[in-house]
Amino acid sequence: MRQNALEVSELWVSFEKGSKAFHALRGISFSLEKGQTLSLVGESGSGKTTATRASLGLITPTEGKVALLGVDINNCSKDKLIETRRRCGYISQNPYDSIPPTLTTLDAVAEPLVICKGLNKKAARERAKEMLSVCGIVDEVVLNGRVKFSLSGGQKQRVALARALVTDPEIIFADEPTSMQDASNRGDILDILQEYVKKGSSLVLTTHDLYLAAAATEHSIILFHGKIMEAGPSKEILKSPLHFYTKALLDALPGLSKKIKKPSLKQGEPEYRLSGCPFLTRCPRGIDKCSKTCPPIKEVSPGHFVACWLL
Amino acid sequence: MIHIQRLSVSYKTERGQVPALKNINLSIPKGTATAIVGESGSGKSTLLHSIMRLLPPEAELSGKIMFEDMDITSMDDAALRSFRWRKCSLVLQGAMSSFNPVLSIGKQIAETVAYHLHLSSKDSYKRAEELLEMVGLPTFFSKRFPHELSGGQKQRAAIAMALACSPPCILADEPTTALDVITQAEIVWLLKEITRKNNMTLCMVTHDLPLALSVCDRIAVMHRGEIVEIQKPSGILNNPTHPHTKKLVKSIRSIEERGNPK
Repeated sequence: MRQNALEVSELWVSFEKGSKAFHALRGISFSLEKGQTLSLVGESGSGKTTATRASLGLITPTEGKVALLGVDINNCSKDKLIETRRRCGYISQNPYDSIPPTLTTLDAVAEPLVICKGLNKKAARERAKEMLSVCGIVDEVVLNGRVKFSLSGGQKQRVALARALVTDPEIIFADEPTSMQDASNRGDILDILQEYVKKGSSLVLTTHDLYLAAAATEHSIILFHGKIMEAGPSKEILKSPLHFYTKALLDALPGLSKKIKKPSLKQGEPEYRLSGCPFLTRCPRGIDKCSKTCPPIKEVSPGHFVACWLL
Repeated sequence: MIHIQRLSVSYKTERGQVPALKNINLSIPKGTATAIVGESGSGKSTLLHSIMRLLPPEAELSGKIMFEDMDITSMDDAALRSFRWRKCSLVLQGAMSSFNPVLSIGKQIAETVAYHLHLSSKDSYKRAEELLEMVGLPTFFSKRFPHELSGGQKQRAAIAMALACSPPCILADEPTTALDVITQAEIVWLLKEITRKNNMTLCMVTHDLPLALSVCDRIAVMHRGEIVEIQKPSGILNNPTHPHTKKLVKSIRSIEERGNPK
């Protein structure tokens, strides 16, 4: 059996929200073999960023276990955690505060090489320059200018990408890596990520776009309020989604030759209660059982899972 | 409804005059839904703001913008006041900050109604509640403050406000950025249905070509301050003429087809 690059089991993350606890993740489990690619798909508040950050040990889970590159990151020494993280690449959702603002663009990308790979500054800068040119940043003024002043949002995101990939990480976490790119550049970002996957890196992509998920990764997990609603091969989910939520998500997404369909979901605030299905308040088909017990995730066809009492 | 002739706008900056719009010619016929599609910095918001005369003082404008038989560029303040909201209203990008945070939603909409339609405060508040209902919000939302509304609800309220004086024309500047896809679908359906039902003219600015194709019947593509192409959705898809449009369509298609091969 191949070693898992990431194994998340029964992960709970709860935040205090006033006197109530807010559960960002409610017991999700998934695993990713080495070299495999996975998308976490969902809307804001679904827990996709929390899942990414918990996988890297940036958030301590309330319950559950994360094994990152074979290391139990919540029960290991700090040195071990740092060493493990250095084998990962992380493109955060917000490139504004993930790059040291006072460094020059070139130094910002050279820095991880000096720290993680022990390169000297000159060699690191040379390699950084190559990496930045792969990511489409070649302008000398931009390379030698400070990150804070010389970059647009889209450029910052590409610098964040270069910074994450320059160390040839074993696993890449990319949180909405195309969110600030113009539509005509999005494909380029995917191509760059794909290159690294070909070289053997695993990829965890976070997105709200089912097309992007299907284009970039083999598997997708659809999250809603911290629960997995559907999981399976990305292309299969795009072609024949099963869960009402996945269907609604796809109906709402405009494509070149696919118009937005009339929304079919109920208007409703999600409930933060623990029993029952979190999707019930918006589900067009909910039954009594849904409010009492949360549907377990079950395999409906090989490798395709769904959590719904009606399916 | 709107005729724009040889419109150029440039901004005065420390680095000198920066052109934002170069010689724009555009007609928006009555009752149509037109999308202005462009990437960041292409000038699409400047174009919309020129129509509403909302450009900052450092902007220099030349050319002509006709709304029916009125020249917007030469309107005085009084004329502008009766043009905005009554003839043409604007739904702003991210309604997040388009409401006054210390007034309830109902009061803010009622204020506009009272001023422009000369209604009593009681009647205008009632009208505000009707408007909220029209956009799918319960009437008790009129008592809520902007921070008590979610992003999608605020955008609905902003549309209610735009409808306050039943203008024949609505402009929308990226009305769904920062909203989730499902909320986005709800908002664009709302805009589409309301404008169609009332035979209104809609002009929407967006960076999202598939969204524009879904909502509008005419697409104007902007690139570096110029309108490079105006076509029906089918034309944009099947026969894009400008290299920029070609690249845009090809790039989006490549992502769609990678995930869903034919």
